[in-house]
Amino acid sequence: MTDFIQLHILTSYPPSNLNRDDLGRPKTAVMGGTQRLRISSQSLKRAWRTSDIFMEALSGHVGIRTKEMGNFVYKALTTGVKLTEILERKSEFSIYPKMEEKKAGDISKQIASVFGKLKKGGFEIEQLAHFSPEEIETIENLIIDLAQSDGELTEENIGILRKKNTAVDIAMFGRMLAANTQYNVEAAVQVSHAITVHKVAVEDDFFTAVDDLNNGEEDMGSGHLGETEFAAGLFYIYTCINRDLLKENLGRDEELTEKALKALVEAALTISPTGKQNSFASRAYASYVLAEKGTQQPRSLSVAFLKALEEKDLLGSTIKELNNTREKIESVYGKCCEQKEEMNAYTGEGSIQGILKFVAE
Amino acid sequence: MKSYLLFRLYGPLASWGDIAVGTHRPSYDHPSKSAVMGLLAAAVGIRRDEENKHRELAEAYNFAVLVNSPGVFLRDYHTAQIPSVSSIKKQKHIDTRKGELGVEKEKLTAVLSSRDYYSDSLYTIAICSKEEHSEAFPYPLELLEKKLNEPEFVLYLGRKSCPLALPVEAKIIDCNGLKEAFDKVEFKCEPLLRLLKKQKQARLYWEGEENGLIPIHTIMRRDLTLSRKRWQFADRKEHYMMLELGE
Repeated sequence: MTDFIQLHILTSYPPSNLNRDDLGRPKTAVMGGTQRLRISSQSLKRAWRTSDIFMEALSGHVGIRTKEMGNFVYKALTTGVKLTEILERKSEFSIYPKMEEKKAGDISKQIASVFGKLKKGGFEIEQLAHFSPEEIETIENLIIDLAQSDGELTEENIGILRKKNTAVDIAMFGRMLAANTQYNVEAAVQVSHAITVHKVAVEDDFFTAVDDLNNGEEDMGSGHLGETEFAAGLFYIYTCINRDLLKENLGRDEELTEKALKALVEAALTISPTGKQNSFASRAYASYVLAEKGTQQPRSLSVAFLKALEEKDLLGSTIKELNNTREKIESVYGKCCEQKEEMNAYTGEGSIQGILKFVAE
Repeated sequence: MKSYLLFRLYGPLASWGDIAVGTHRPSYDHPSKSAVMGLLAAAVGIRRDEENKHRELAEAYNFAVLVNSPGVFLRDYHTAQIPSVSSIKKQKHIDTRKGELGVEKEKLTAVLSSRDYYSDSLYTIAICSKEEHSEAFPYPLELLEKKLNEPEFVLYLGRKSCPLALPVEAKIIDCNGLKEAFDKVEFKCEPLLRLLKKQKQARLYWEGEENGLIPIHTIMRRDLTLSRKRWQFADRKEHYMMLELGE
């Protein structure tokens, strides 16, 4: 018997082009004989796992985003001041032996390169990296150890540095290395393609841009002509988490599993795909979520929208239809889950905290 | 009398991997034996690396599929962003997707593929033990039935991003042949699927000898699982005919 957690999420995106095909058109699918807008599973997962929320929710606290951790590590090593105190710009008391500059430089580079690619000549990395408070503490302890023992950085030390985030990312979404199957990890999280609950016709926006320096004396034409396709939709997103497999992938660490679940759900409810966000600013939070827990065969509730909805009060009737269908399925097949919990931003009932708590415990 | 295990496969999207080389990932127009045996394996909790158990499953049962609704073909253009090889050469540890994409923007490239799916499709699957094996090898049909309704791993339609949208309603039918089994079986999900284009004459694919069924033609299909580790499959004979369905 396996514990499954299922999430049924409704998110409404205004005109947007979040996930496009090879012609730059929003992706679509046919369901119940009518065309719907679609956001692929891969697109959703990418947005979630690269989000800051994911990292921050995991550590439980907001961390630091910086390219310059290497500089601070170097400073800590050469001055003997605690790393956290340097980062918080507190006192400047040396509490452990200072390291000579060359060795400190090597170690700083090695530590920094765990988090990103080093820039030429220096300890900075090329991109912002997120450091959770726990990671910073780990680095600090490592520095003190090395300074006191005058030791070298080992592979093992380096491995410890990013263990947690690595584990969670791969535990959830899996890894497949065709060349090296022993490192394969079976994904514990299943994410469906998001599909709108209503019919969608993709629209064309023909746009022109004016040349500001064209005074109209010779040529009244526009400076640029273009076309972009877009559509708006209320999406049904379904996710199923194999809780037992997730925990197994995380080395049976219950606390980490709970954090991972919360991070995933929070990201799923608040993070939008990044496609064409600068042109459409179509960011949206989920309007509704139904979370279920149980050992029964998981199933999506997409049949609720097999008949495309057309009501004026679309969100309200979608929520109603979702729950009606759920009840119908239960009355036909018997119980489909043991417990459930709702968050409804349409009526203002429930809360994200309630959902996170329900899912994690 | 023979026992058949019947169940329904429905989800908004499904993908039944055909022989795939390179960037094009085609889908067969009906479930492959390897996909359905993989589904049973997931239900009973066989892991990907348990080669022998997968082989046993594939070899112990005959498999048939009735295409109740063929669905609509969908080709998905799929891109995945990756850093260029040179930009991560010196980076020993790439731990997360975020980390992987953390290089400078100009250094990101993409791998492209096109993946085929069917939407709005509905299938009925039938499984029976091959005559040369005892009925309980390697799993009795009753166990498969129970496990499908309460699986160990999540079940999906060919790709993990294609979840099932209704319970599979696994049930055992005792009768004199495949045709009778399909006539006899009733699924509770019918009223929920009114909008699918279901056909009175449906395509039926099966393997082995079946009482009273005469194939229109027989094709070779390379979907008999040999090794999931090495991704090897053997040829298998698949018969085909059109089946008239009763009301």
